[in-house]
Amino acid sequence: MAETEKITIYAMGKAYKVPAGLTIMSALEYAGYQYIRGCGCRSGYCGGCATIYRREGDYKLYTDLACQTPAEDGMYLVQLPFVPANKSIYDLDKIEPMETTLVEHYPEIVKCVSCNTCTKACPQDLDVMYFIQAAKIGDFKEVAELSFDCIQCGLCAVRCPADIAHYHVAQLARRIYGKFINEKVEQLTKRLNEIEKGVYDKELNKLMKMNKAMLEKAYKKRKIEGTK
Amino acid sequence: MEIAYYPGCTLRTSAKNFESSSIAVADHLGITFKELSQWNCCGTVYSLASDDLMKHLAPVRVLIRAQEDNKENGLDNKLVTLCSMCYNTVKMANHLVKNDEEKLDTINQFMDEEPDYEADVNVLHFLQLLDEIGIDRIKENTKKSLEVLNLACYYGCYLLRPEEASIDEEPEAPSIMERIMEAAGARTIDYPFKNECCGSYLTVTEKKYTAERTYKIISSVVNRGADAIVLSCPLCAFNLDRRQKQAKELHANMKSIPIFYFPQLLGLAFGINSNELGFNMHYVDPRPLLKEKRLIKR
Amino acid sequence: MIEMIDGYPKYMRESIKKVEETRQDRVDKLPKPMSMSERKKILNKFHPDFDPKGKRKVRTGPNKGDIVPNEVADLLEAYPSIAPKDIDLSNIDYDVDVLVIGGGMAGTVAALWALKEGIKKDKILITTKLRHGDSNSIKAQGGIQCADREEDSPAMHYLDVIGGGHFANKPELARALVTDAPKILDWHEDLGVMYDRDNGKYLELSGGGTSRFRLHSAKDYTGLEIMRVLRDESINQGIEVIEFASAIELLLDDGGKVAGALLYNMETEEYSIARAKSTILATGGFGRLHIQSYPTTNHYGATADGLVMAYRAGANFVDMDTVQYHPTGAAYPEQIVGQLITEKVRGLGGQPVNKDGKQFVFPLEPRDVEAAAIIRECTERNKGVKSPTGMVGIWLDTPIIEIIHGKGAVKENLHAIYRMYERFDIDVTKDPILVFPTLHYQNGGVEIDVNAATSVAGLFAAGEVEGGVHGKNRLMGNSLLDCNVFGLRAGISAAKHAKKTKLGKLTLQHVEKYTKNLEKNKIKPKMRSPMLLPEYREEDVLARRLRLST
Ligand SMILES: Cc1cc2nc3c(=O)[nH]c(=O)nc-3n(C[C@H](O)[C@H](O)[C@H](O)COP(=O)(O)OP(=O)(O)OC[C@H]3O[C@@H](n4cnc5c(N)ncnc54)[C@H](O)[C@@H]3O)c2cc1C
Repeated sequence: MAETEKITIYAMGKAYKVPAGLTIMSALEYAGYQYIRGCGCRSGYCGGCATIYRREGDYKLYTDLACQTPAEDGMYLVQLPFVPANKSIYDLDKIEPMETTLVEHYPEIVKCVSCNTCTKACPQDLDVMYFIQAAKIGDFKEVAELSFDCIQCGLCAVRCPADIAHYHVAQLARRIYGKFINEKVEQLTKRLNEIEKGVYDKELNKLMKMNKAMLEKAYKKRKIEGTK
Repeated sequence: MEIAYYPGCTLRTSAKNFESSSIAVADHLGITFKELSQWNCCGTVYSLASDDLMKHLAPVRVLIRAQEDNKENGLDNKLVTLCSMCYNTVKMANHLVKNDEEKLDTINQFMDEEPDYEADVNVLHFLQLLDEIGIDRIKENTKKSLEVLNLACYYGCYLLRPEEASIDEEPEAPSIMERIMEAAGARTIDYPFKNECCGSYLTVTEKKYTAERTYKIISSVVNRGADAIVLSCPLCAFNLDRRQKQAKELHANMKSIPIFYFPQLLGLAFGINSNELGFNMHYVDPRPLLKEKRLIKR
Repeated sequence: MIEMIDGYPKYMRESIKKVEETRQDRVDKLPKPMSMSERKKILNKFHPDFDPKGKRKVRTGPNKGDIVPNEVADLLEAYPSIAPKDIDLSNIDYDVDVLVIGGGMAGTVAALWALKEGIKKDKILITTKLRHGDSNSIKAQGGIQCADREEDSPAMHYLDVIGGGHFANKPELARALVTDAPKILDWHEDLGVMYDRDNGKYLELSGGGTSRFRLHSAKDYTGLEIMRVLRDESINQGIEVIEFASAIELLLDDGGKVAGALLYNMETEEYSIARAKSTILATGGFGRLHIQSYPTTNHYGATADGLVMAYRAGANFVDMDTVQYHPTGAAYPEQIVGQLITEKVRGLGGQPVNKDGKQFVFPLEPRDVEAAAIIRECTERNKGVKSPTGMVGIWLDTPIIEIIHGKGAVKENLHAIYRMYERFDIDVTKDPILVFPTLHYQNGGVEIDVNAATSVAGLFAAGEVEGGVHGKNRLMGNSLLDCNVFGLRAGISAAKHAKKTKLGKLTLQHVEKYTKNLEKNKIKPKMRSPMLLPEYREEDVLARRLRLST
């Protein structure tokens, strides 16, 4: 096999040569680090591998997830596996959704200067600044929709000049939206009642008593919805 | 006519009636407020507090949205606002970057995710827009004259100061609001406090101080025979309306009067359904006065 | 350098062109599902799990003589990683009523329900290997099953579960799973979980092996949405969580009951003693064992620790002989190989096609059958596409979803997948993606009853670590449901058990005994367990690694 191309990455300033074509995470592992912190789901869902980096010759700091970002030659890297941001403690059952609810729980959001640094920091490319703006005026739906893909890595909060914990604000807004603004679905309530009344017990008892051959027969006879 | 429109936060929370009445009035005059496709807070909190460039990011971002939306929609490069505070913040930021290329550059560079701001948007307050449209149009549209009302027009600070932001050529003796209200038939009074501060954010920490100011302003206009105050700023409205409670506690003899946003009364004059004008959102209920003057049904 | 065009090497584009050519014709034409005998044949011949070389009889412990994957047998036949004599059991660090091991979904649900059942918040402790929520749960994309539509019923759901599990499931567990489902969704709604809706009704999709549309999702972030709400709620409720603290052995009392766990601070390497009247095992699955060297969809901490601990404490397993491979893991680009491409892609109409753009399997067969068909296409039939690093896969045609459901449907419903490929310049609304089966799920596990109790007193289990619910093969959407149904039951049962339990003296004698039994059974362990973390460091580095003694 041909010698693979090597690149140099800097783990907290220290240089390592690693093969090209790895993610930041696997590049650091290749270099000899075994993660304890800074590695969770390994596919971009848990926010545990938030990373700040700079490219050689560029003065700007960038942020992304180590498990999803290709390692590049000349990257200076540091991981931020924990963000000590403030989270409001609340009893959701006692919340009354009002225009001011989110500001009451997170008064610092009124200090947003719309610098948009949060948006630039977001590895999910969410419109973070605009969901904070929506939070200020109590537009739960807008916050919920704009923030839905938030993995709560906390990079927004780390970069914010107004010390806002955007991801916690959004969590509260989504829960309010889910609980109070989304209405309960009728068919679910109906099914719950039916189960409580034992409507399906007879059929289930029958199925539970079947031997394998009988079950196989019943299974084969199923009509699959969506097929002809 | 369509015009790009920037609402600001307060109009979506405590001053909804300011917005609904403005939209109704504008609509009536054939003006469509086209809300910016996306917008952020004008940044007023920081503008008041400190003096670095950071504070201008918010208003300039609003201006960029206006510039881009106007291009996209083929509108004149204008932006109208209602809230005095938003007006002032956006106007002054605009003024700053129009006159200081270096600062404009720095801001554009910081906001590298946005198109550059070309410093060409013309920021207007709704009062200016009404004035521009013409006193005659207001007269023509007035179905029910406001002649039964004696009004005190209150400007506060943000419509007039600093000079560059003033909506009136004479910041020390403004008359634009009077002109407009008179066009709808109202009588207006002259009084010494119309361009003085309402107490502004001191209302949060020094309730008593603002209550005293409220008392002073209200007694001054009542003594001169005013039935009500009209204004254009949600914070002034809050102080002059809600702080009447504390003012009364300090001065039992004070007479309460209602505080209106100017478009609420224009709306009545134009015959717009009073439900759209939000008379139910006041601390001092204006409906008894309006009923007495037969401006709304008993 | 290989010439790249929009994320794909030029040579792969030739095959993509064929996929494009057949696309329109395939829109409403699907291959027929396989008959039972066809299924059996293809599974035996092509599914890695049907390869007898991948498994062996475990030679010690409660399941001695039963077949398990080699990698699991190695862990069960390993030395413990501690010597009991080094541990001082008289110093109790945490003294609680309910100890939950594992801060994924099953564990968090269990803690919340123990609280609801009346255990005080400071008498509940969650201990977890990584951060709270770093788990398989948070990665679940597709959804959760619940038979709530008029056209559907718990009985139909039951039959799907049992058939999917090759009729090996414990019937009472399958029944609990399907009948508790509406209660779970209702609870989630009360907590503010945002399930997808369409005109005031749930948006429900079909999944492999299910006879009705009953998959409830929250875009393709279902696990994330549920997990972050549960975590938020558990913080609000004040339940203590110790992160980066793995359980490494269970503790028993002198009466033989499970009485807590020995914890290991992953950072300071200290141990601590957590004594508990009830212990809930919720450590999830084993994907990071890389069974048969397959890549995996699982999170970093999925190393079967729970199985090892429970087994040493005397709990038995069921259905540990089968392993679930997800039919569609990413096979290109190299950086994301093995990562899950949710079944929802096929639920929405995405089709597997070979290098000639031809269909070769019904897209929604049960997972094992679908996986076997893909492997056959890539091996025997030689109709796969080779990536530049030598990984062979077949195309999963994603652009067809936009023809079926309209423009924007991919971004709307599969944003996570869209985003994952966008990072590598691939636009899944325009181009198909290369996939191959990947190691996904631990079908069996520690045997439980309907109350989530294991065969050892004081030990409860919930979620992927337990077995019996899904038989030999789990269907999509039933695992998130499992975590919730049995998490709930474990929480309640553990609370009840704690209220009436008095603990005796703590001991680790079972670990000593287990070690002696290894010798008795003439086993020469190759390693120590539990594993805690998989090893991904470069061999050169490991070869020169020094452990300095002081
Ligand atoms: C990529 C992916 C997609 C999936 N999609 C779906 C889907 O759409 N629908 C569905 O129903 N199912 C899906 N599944 C399956 C489902 O998500 C899991 O089976 C389920 O969430 C497991 O939950 P759990 O709580 O049992 O385990 P986990 O969520 O894995 O939690 C276990 C926790 O225990 C911790 N832990 C492990 N060992 C120890 C130890 N020794 N000490 C302390 N803590 C420990 C782990 O770090 C982890 O936090 C998917 C799985 C994966 C991997």
